[in-house]
Amino acid sequence: MATAPPGARPLAPAAPSGRSGGRGGAHLRGGSSPPRPSFRERMRARTEQDRRESWRPRGFWALLAIPGSICLLVFFVLPFYVVLSVAAGTLDPIFQSPVPIWNPFWWSAANFAHLYHEAGILWPPFARTIVYSAIASAASLAIAYPVAYFVTRYAGKRKTLFLILLISPFWVSYMMRMLAWIDLLQVTGWVNRVLEWLHVVSRNHPVGWLAGHPATVIFGLIYGYIPYLIIVLYAGLDRIDGRLLEASRDLGLGRWRTFWRVTVPLSRQTVLAGMFITVLPMLGDYYTNQLLSATPGTTMIGNTIEGQLEIANLQGDGAAASIALLVLLLLPMIYYVRSTARASRENA
Amino acid sequence: MSRREFMRMAAGGAALAGVGGGLLGGCERPGHAGVAIPLPRKTNPVRWPVYSDNEPIPDGLAPEKGATLQIYNWVAYINTAVLDSFCKKYDCRYTLTTFNTMSEAISKLQTGELDFDIFFPTIDVLGPLVEGKLLRPINHSYVPNIHQAWPDFLNPFYDLDWQYTVPYTIYTTGMAWRKDLVDEDPYTMANPWAMPWQEKYRGKVAILDDYREGICLGLMKQGIFDLNTTDVAQIESSLHQLQELQSLVNVQIDNNDYSEVPSGQTWIHHAWSGDMAAAWEYLPAHVSADVLGYWFPPDGKGPVANDAISMLTSGKNPVLSHLFLNYMLDLPNALTNIGFNGYMQPIEGVTAEKLIKLQYLPEALVSTVVLPSNFRTGIEELQLPPDANDAWELAWLQFGGGL
Repeated sequence: MATAPPGARPLAPAAPSGRSGGRGGAHLRGGSSPPRPSFRERMRARTEQDRRESWRPRGFWALLAIPGSICLLVFFVLPFYVVLSVAAGTLDPIFQSPVPIWNPFWWSAANFAHLYHEAGILWPPFARTIVYSAIASAASLAIAYPVAYFVTRYAGKRKTLFLILLISPFWVSYMMRMLAWIDLLQVTGWVNRVLEWLHVVSRNHPVGWLAGHPATVIFGLIYGYIPYLIIVLYAGLDRIDGRLLEASRDLGLGRWRTFWRVTVPLSRQTVLAGMFITVLPMLGDYYTNQLLSATPGTTMIGNTIEGQLEIANLQGDGAAASIALLVLLLLPMIYYVRSTARASRENA
Repeated sequence: MSRREFMRMAAGGAALAGVGGGLLGGCERPGHAGVAIPLPRKTNPVRWPVYSDNEPIPDGLAPEKGATLQIYNWVAYINTAVLDSFCKKYDCRYTLTTFNTMSEAISKLQTGELDFDIFFPTIDVLGPLVEGKLLRPINHSYVPNIHQAWPDFLNPFYDLDWQYTVPYTIYTTGMAWRKDLVDEDPYTMANPWAMPWQEKYRGKVAILDDYREGICLGLMKQGIFDLNTTDVAQIESSLHQLQELQSLVNVQIDNNDYSEVPSGQTWIHHAWSGDMAAAWEYLPAHVSADVLGYWFPPDGKGPVANDAISMLTSGKNPVLSHLFLNYMLDLPNALTNIGFNGYMQPIEGVTAEKLIKLQYLPEALVSTVVLPSNFRTGIEELQLPPDANDAWELAWLQFGGGL
């Protein structure tokens, strides 16, 4: 039996004597005693026990879900139904503006069919959106993970301060932060002035950051959404049991191997959740490009849909495009849900 | 088409998305057949009907007491000092609600649940607004100041006998440029509409974010001045011009002409005269207004337009609404409004000399002044038949989406 290094904390309660070579085989798998109940069985038994011992009426905990369910109904299901009714609706004969059809039996597929004819228009911005979001999310992860890891493991007493700093971007609206960057990135703005001072660019040839560069749009996406990712990663990394990391070190893995073989696998679900929280809004974003570029060469699918919604008789097309985008985004969401469920089963 | 057929087609469409769909030959939109509404043109002036259930108010009524006039206008398109003085004169209050696009405004008005009194429509939506009985007809006896308006607006082709509208702002569409940064002077160029198509100004060129203005620019660059064309080939040719512009200069599409040209963010900007009339106020400190230029064809053969003021049937204060229309047509009030807005009003006495004297306009930007003659020589962008409008919109979407 391997011995633990001096001072190491035991990972689990001391094993019964029978497991360390004694004669009592009753504790060993395959012994005569009944097998240990599964996680699901134990949880069910625990729930039953809670129910018997609880003073609360039956259905108490289910009642607590009512406010959330109402919110979901009011803020997601109903708006979604309205968009669907507009997408499957018709046009006002006088104003040529969309008229939603509320009864699903009367829904029309004409706007979706029209979307098909507009595929040549929608495809370039859609492809661009995928590329920009992929680059921006990968870069965000590369920046956010070390930051969150540092705050979790090494911030020590200053953890609260760092948390406040991480949350501080939320105190200013996204739009205001982007407008601030417009000032900073102008030809005569501070970014070019600093670069001039560093002799990176010349005064006579300043960089036109706002002149339609994909890099500026991607930067805007990273800047806009990275706080969300950091917060999620922090929450996830902070929940990793430190004893597992200690165990890894006790078992001989170095700092880097512990990180790669323990921390990274344990934070996989957190990373996935964080990426969803940042990537999904990136895919629907339109004002970052509108404010920082506004050229056709950087148009994202959100800009195209917004353009449709600004023109009365294209609003139905815009609604149909929104539904199509939603359906496409559901695919990775389903993957995430399945992946999370699988991870839960494995942990159990 | 059955739902199953549609699903099969959609699946095929997804596979073919990269190849691209038909551009301007898309399928018919639901409800497109619509109601036949006359299309006003100078050659086809329109007198809108006055319906028996929507007649003008009687003469000689007193204004509503203790009322709140509800005004529905574009963002930053009226001087609130004028509203304050109106309310002081007529002992009322006002609320100002704003919108960003005409379709957004009409969508809200269509609900019939808003009781706005005053609305500021573009003239290309008058037909649907009258047919939908959203506009209240005017009783002329309450609006004597109409005689201060330019003669061209006493009987405009888009609303003969001004039954539903009085004129509000007027403007031209032209080319703004930085004289200190751009080598060319459009006044000496053979084709100034082609001014943005110069690769050496890559990253420094912008055009207006408006599907009518954008497609018109592509048309005029080719010497096509039918700005209400229904010819799909011409619309496609304009699209190709704009796509060429994109590849040449990576053109920006925005309506920030009034701030981007003064700041040097863009050097050449397809622009509205009213925006550029106010642009000198956005210049950095110590930069003279002389660096700003605005070109509109000296022969007046370019896009001109006017917006209007109308009363809504939903309003609860019809007499005050009439008095407001009258108030806005009075020269002193119009000048106060222009001082804030930049956009001129077609009122006798609103001249370049007057605006310069009041320091509303620097001499360098006198070309932004709209003249009465512009409405005889200029070209209006007017309401299109639905199918042609679709072609314009889709061409603009295709351009905006990039290659």
